[in-house]
Amino acid sequence: MAGRGGGRGRRMMTFSVEAVGITRGDSLPPSIQQPTPLFPVMEQKPLPLTAGEEEEYLLALKQEFRGAMKSLPCFIQPTAAHRGQSSTHTHTHTHTQTSLTYTHTQTHTHFSFRFYYYYYYFTCFLCQTLQKKEEGQSSEDEEEEGEEKKKKQEEEEAEGEEEYDEEEFEEETDYVMSYFDNGEEFGGDSDDNMDEAIY
Amino acid sequence: MTAQEVRLCGLLLREHFGEVVEKVGTHLLKGGAQNLRTIIHETGISLDLVKKSLCVLVQHGACVFRSGRKGAGSPTEYQTCCDRILRILRYPRYIYTAKTLYGDTGELIIEELLQRGHMTMSGTIKTVADRLTQNMEEGRSMDYSEVSSAFFRLVETHFLQRCPPLAGAEPKDSATPAAPSFPDCYKVPHVTLVGRGKRQLASEDGEDQRNAKKAKMDSQVGTHGDEGICWQVNFERFHLHFRDQAIISAVANKLDQTSSEIVRTMLRMSEVTTSPTATCTKPLSANEIFRSLPTSYNIPRPILDQYLTLLIDDPMEFVGKAGESGGGMYVVNMHRALANLARATLESVVQERFGSRSARIFRLLLRKRHLEQKQVEDFAMIPAKEAKDMLYTLLSQNLVQLQEIPKTPDYAPSRTFYLYTVNQLPTARMLLQNCYKTVANLVERRLFESKESKRLLEKSQRIEAILASLQASGAEPEQLTEVEEMITAPEKQQLEALRLHINKLDSAENQVDETIFLLESYINSTASTS
Repeated sequence: MAGRGGGRGRRMMTFSVEAVGITRGDSLPPSIQQPTPLFPVMEQKPLPLTAGEEEEYLLALKQEFRGAMKSLPCFIQPTAAHRGQSSTHTHTHTHTQTSLTYTHTQTHTHFSFRFYYYYYYFTCFLCQTLQKKEEGQSSEDEEEEGEEKKKKQEEEEAEGEEEYDEEEFEEETDYVMSYFDNGEEFGGDSDDNMDEAIY
Repeated sequence: MTAQEVRLCGLLLREHFGEVVEKVGTHLLKGGAQNLRTIIHETGISLDLVKKSLCVLVQHGACVFRSGRKGAGSPTEYQTCCDRILRILRYPRYIYTAKTLYGDTGELIIEELLQRGHMTMSGTIKTVADRLTQNMEEGRSMDYSEVSSAFFRLVETHFLQRCPPLAGAEPKDSATPAAPSFPDCYKVPHVTLVGRGKRQLASEDGEDQRNAKKAKMDSQVGTHGDEGICWQVNFERFHLHFRDQAIISAVANKLDQTSSEIVRTMLRMSEVTTSPTATCTKPLSANEIFRSLPTSYNIPRPILDQYLTLLIDDPMEFVGKAGESGGGMYVVNMHRALANLARATLESVVQERFGSRSARIFRLLLRKRHLEQKQVEDFAMIPAKEAKDMLYTLLSQNLVQLQEIPKTPDYAPSRTFYLYTVNQLPTARMLLQNCYKTVANLVERRLFESKESKRLLEKSQRIEAILASLQASGAEPEQLTEVEEMITAPEKQQLEALRLHINKLDSAENQVDETIFLLESYINSTASTS
């Protein structure tokens, strides 16, 4: 309160004005009320994207391509090193002194429909993103073959580096598999030895 | 390789090949040619993964290898260059072009080859036949011979080419993979391939099982006559096609449909006689053009001459006159057309960013080369204060350069001319780098948006999976609606908004790539002519 001059000395600052270089009578920049904006202000708005049949088809092609690449063996997972060679593709790479020969044989065909609906394609692409997280390879077989193949495949992948509850994730549902049991198997085993009472 | 190119290549590699390949690829891009041990040591990735990543990169043509520079016996060195990886942005356009030219079969062939990098002819044909069969009705399947004929046509028109033979012994000087011009580049091997596509069904009937067994035996025997001959997509040929399309559509926009048909005819006639780096086509006489016009265009001969005169007089200089024999010899000026298209792109960029008056100043400087500030104000008919402001804004964005011409050796400001100028080629290069940065930003934003809503996306994907499995097992409608209601309405809205954003970002990437193509073609064409 001692520092405030009231009506007399309005321009009081914590630093000496002359030392900084602001001479008397110079106009100061306006005081800042809020943080500076994150991006510079745009004087002209950009044009809208061209939208037509061709552009939509190109968009669908692009998203489908990206999704398909994620299920191919050339999409290398960081955890792939632990698995070694998978059972569905062989990629041998022999290097001699003067020539490199690599043979690449594929025994699976990847699942791809040209005539997807937009949204269904979109979720399939996400499907593959998440399957990559859960399993890593050979994920496209799940969609094709159905439940039986899936179960067989998961029994094959016994490396156990991704310790997940196999039972729970088998059908990609939220429910543990025992949720769907209807209790028929209960109590059918030990009917012979009736030593202990069944509560 | 500039920083922007490396960043964009890294993002493209991550999206299509995974993070391991991204690490190895960006390391090679930044570090030049390196041998395997250096790569392992500096990236810290295990030997197995590095080997696999290098395989993937070589398979897709992004990496070349050669024996070390230190002489015979030194370890193999691997080198990557940006160009091939940046082509990934253009894949949808290649596939779509194949569809318009060769139908669904051609489209799938190109798509398969783009996904796998290199593949043998028999492998491609089988996979494509299977995919086509998948989409056909029950009981029908695609014959291999149809797919083969589409493959032959693609090779004939040079859209596909053989992979260059592996000759990793001698070191090459050029950093980029040399364009394959070996003699057998477009020779189709004799392949014995008889059969039809297979349908992937969970319940197979007798015929499919027999076919499947036969296919297994075939693949075990493995002889189709073309082992070791791999094919790849010839990007340069697609680029020539895109360039022709750009010129034709520019003529159609500037003049009219008939003129564009004439130019299209001229380009078609000189497809095989013009080399890719030529600045203009071989001269064509007006008589030849008249004979080759499509019959649906009933243009009488004098009208054709008038159209050709119009094309020559047009300031864009698409068509030029090269002589008088044969009714007039005409050429299509490809280099000049590309330069004009690039110039139009630059002008449009300035107009959209800074307004039409700044664009007027920019066009003025492009036409008049060097102008003083006073002259700019006079010619552009803009008040002095605003003209000064706009000029300085353009100067600070590096779209306009300042040239000092001193009258005295001491460069005194009062005795020096300051001339503003625009150099088209360096400006085009700068805008090209801006385009790369734009696409990289778009990709990053898209990844960010997906990551933000990951939980919601996972939930919706689980719901879809439950719905699909319930439908497959034949559930009642009430169960289906019950499952559908597990996603609440605001979540549905959020998902819808997310889908819209991601589609917009993807579509924007495609469209920025069109600009990238124009600018790259112009820069390459200028570099090869000068």
